[in-house]
Amino acid sequence: MAELTRLIYDKRAREIFWQVVILLALVIVTVFIVRNASQNMVNAGIASGFDFLWRTSGIDVPFVLTDYTSNSNILGLLWVGVVNTLVVTIVSIIAATLLGFVVGVARLSKNKLLSGIAGAFIEIVRNIPLLFFVMFWYSLVINALPAPRQSIGIFSVAFLNNRGLTIPVPVEGSAFKIAALVILAGIVGQAAIAIWAKRRRDATGQIFPAWATGLVLLIGLPVLAFGIAGFATTWDLPAFRGFNFRGGFVLVPEFVALFLALTVYTAGFIAEVVRGGIQAVVKGQWEAAYALGLRPNRTLSLVVIPQAMRVMIPPMTSQYLNVLKNSSFGAAIAYPDLVSVFVGSALNNTGQAIEIIAITLAIYLAIGLAVSGFMNWYNAKTALVTR
Amino acid sequence: MKSLFRGALLAAILGGAGAANAQQLAPSPTLDAIRARGHLECGVHLGLPGFSFANDKGEWSGLDVDYCRALAAAVLGDATKVRFTPTSVQQRWPVLQSGQVDVLSRNTTITYSRNVTLGVNFQGINFYEGQTFIVRTASGAKKPSDLENASICVAAGSTEERMAADYFRERNLKVSIINFQKNDDAIAAYDAGRCDSYTAGLGALAGQRIKLKNPAEHTIMTETISNDPQGPVTRWGDERWQAIVRWVLNGQIAAENLGVTSRNVDDFRANSKNAEIRRLLGADGGFGAMLGLSNDWLFNAIKQVGNYAESYERTVGKGSPLGLERGQNQLWTRGGLLFSPPFQ
Repeated sequence: MAELTRLIYDKRAREIFWQVVILLALVIVTVFIVRNASQNMVNAGIASGFDFLWRTSGIDVPFVLTDYTSNSNILGLLWVGVVNTLVVTIVSIIAATLLGFVVGVARLSKNKLLSGIAGAFIEIVRNIPLLFFVMFWYSLVINALPAPRQSIGIFSVAFLNNRGLTIPVPVEGSAFKIAALVILAGIVGQAAIAIWAKRRRDATGQIFPAWATGLVLLIGLPVLAFGIAGFATTWDLPAFRGFNFRGGFVLVPEFVALFLALTVYTAGFIAEVVRGGIQAVVKGQWEAAYALGLRPNRTLSLVVIPQAMRVMIPPMTSQYLNVLKNSSFGAAIAYPDLVSVFVGSALNNTGQAIEIIAITLAIYLAIGLAVSGFMNWYNAKTALVTR
Repeated sequence: MKSLFRGALLAAILGGAGAANAQQLAPSPTLDAIRARGHLECGVHLGLPGFSFANDKGEWSGLDVDYCRALAAAVLGDATKVRFTPTSVQQRWPVLQSGQVDVLSRNTTITYSRNVTLGVNFQGINFYEGQTFIVRTASGAKKPSDLENASICVAAGSTEERMAADYFRERNLKVSIINFQKNDDAIAAYDAGRCDSYTAGLGALAGQRIKLKNPAEHTIMTETISNDPQGPVTRWGDERWQAIVRWVLNGQIAAENLGVTSRNVDDFRANSKNAEIRRLLGADGGFGAMLGLSNDWLFNAIKQVGNYAESYERTVGKGSPLGLERGQNQLWTRGGLLFSPPFQ
């Protein structure tokens, strides 16, 4: 009895007790909800289970990066949605980060015109709903570009019209695989040079122009490799037939519009994060750097930004997760993302709402957790070591 | 005292059994719920002229809307006691399954898999049509097979989405099908030039065409690639409610066949010698009571909304901007597909 009383007053025991109680309650509620839902569905005559994933989808998707066709099963359709969501998310995150940095730094510029323009940009995009942006870019892209017959030809191999940008694709990709390996080697080489240059700078204070080798290895090498690969292979060239170009790969206007909308919109928020991060670095750091004779550019890139990064990473994670979630706005303009093809088409054709919504939630959760996991790792890596 | 009590109990049991014998009605939770709330909940299309469309005053009209009005008149005696829930292609099933609406009357194609996997039943057909395509007349495309390499806008999750994919795949014609979440988004994208064509049922296309910037520049193809029968939809269960939904539609069709219209319905009820008309209008037979409704249920529906022909002509037929022929939607006696099982 005395033991028990002691347990009640033990803080640790109490904590464990309540955690177990809450966990049990959670399990019971979940089991109840699942059983209740499935029982009700059986009673209402609604099919349940995950067998539908292996049924033929029968849905034609205009923007496919996998080997999906309308003969594939619904699992294949799901994968198309996941890939399309990831592609637009990753590309938009990279572009928004670059644009956001530029705008954020410009916002702090001493040049009144530059900072004014950056400020106006930030305020405009932050105060307009994303859906409006998506629609705006979409109608702009569609209306600004000509109809297929009046396509803008680019060297007569690529064609731009309001159905998208049609580019030639290689019939057989082995030359490009070799080119990709060459490029990978270039990236690894540049990374090695950058690390070596940093070590040497730390040790001797001498600055090695790593950007110059970077120009060669990261831009020159890919251009060369793809150029050679391009000559070494045969191409599927777009040709006009019937209503539109046939052959090649089509970058659909929905992708471009969603990419532009996500990039511009998110860049507005990232710019504010960048500004906040830079302003969080105490003035003394600038002054100290100037006192050492560093120029403003170098002060910013070597002293201020590395410290600002620590402030910026957590809010940046939120922005990246927002891009992921906001990519579902693509459904509004028929970009075939996860929501559009799976929650839109597949759900309607199978009617299995609960399963499809659950799968979709799980996928967004998994991608989101992966993004924030990576950002947390990066945050821990760059965090100020304190004792 | 005791015997008095026992006598009362016996009388109550006998009386109750007698009442049960007289009615023989399974309970209808849907009907009870409608009576309790005082209006019918009807799921309709977001906005399709001719079928279900709300004007700027919020007044709904259309063939599918008319059916809901007739059902409300039959059940509650008043065609105005109905609330419309606009539903998108995606929303319509959950809205019906979850009981938010009592009936879905929404330009929805009857299909096998919907019937057997969604827990829904289709209660007859109020509109026959086929899927076809609208194109710019200038494009020169005359039939669906002319659409090679075309971009085609469609509503995601519609039967048209898969029908079109099947049709072109079977013929080895490459097309690009762009799936929008709403019919309105799809037609707007077509109008903006994103697509060469928009596909839907013939009736829906006629309705959507009115919304285009310049309707005269567009042609609806006459060749169809499918049969799209459409009609009111209910949940599984509640057989009596399903019977009501089914027989109100049958009643409107039967009324046309028998020559009963909203104008002559009073006269027919008072004076007709035709046995079926008398049963239909509640002058004889107590047919309404068999469903737990008042005997003038179909009288009210026809008086207040009209028979099928009146409804058709007013909403999608010659008396409407859509101007559709009766075609398949004519009575079978005049070469169409419509008929009602007998009111026997």
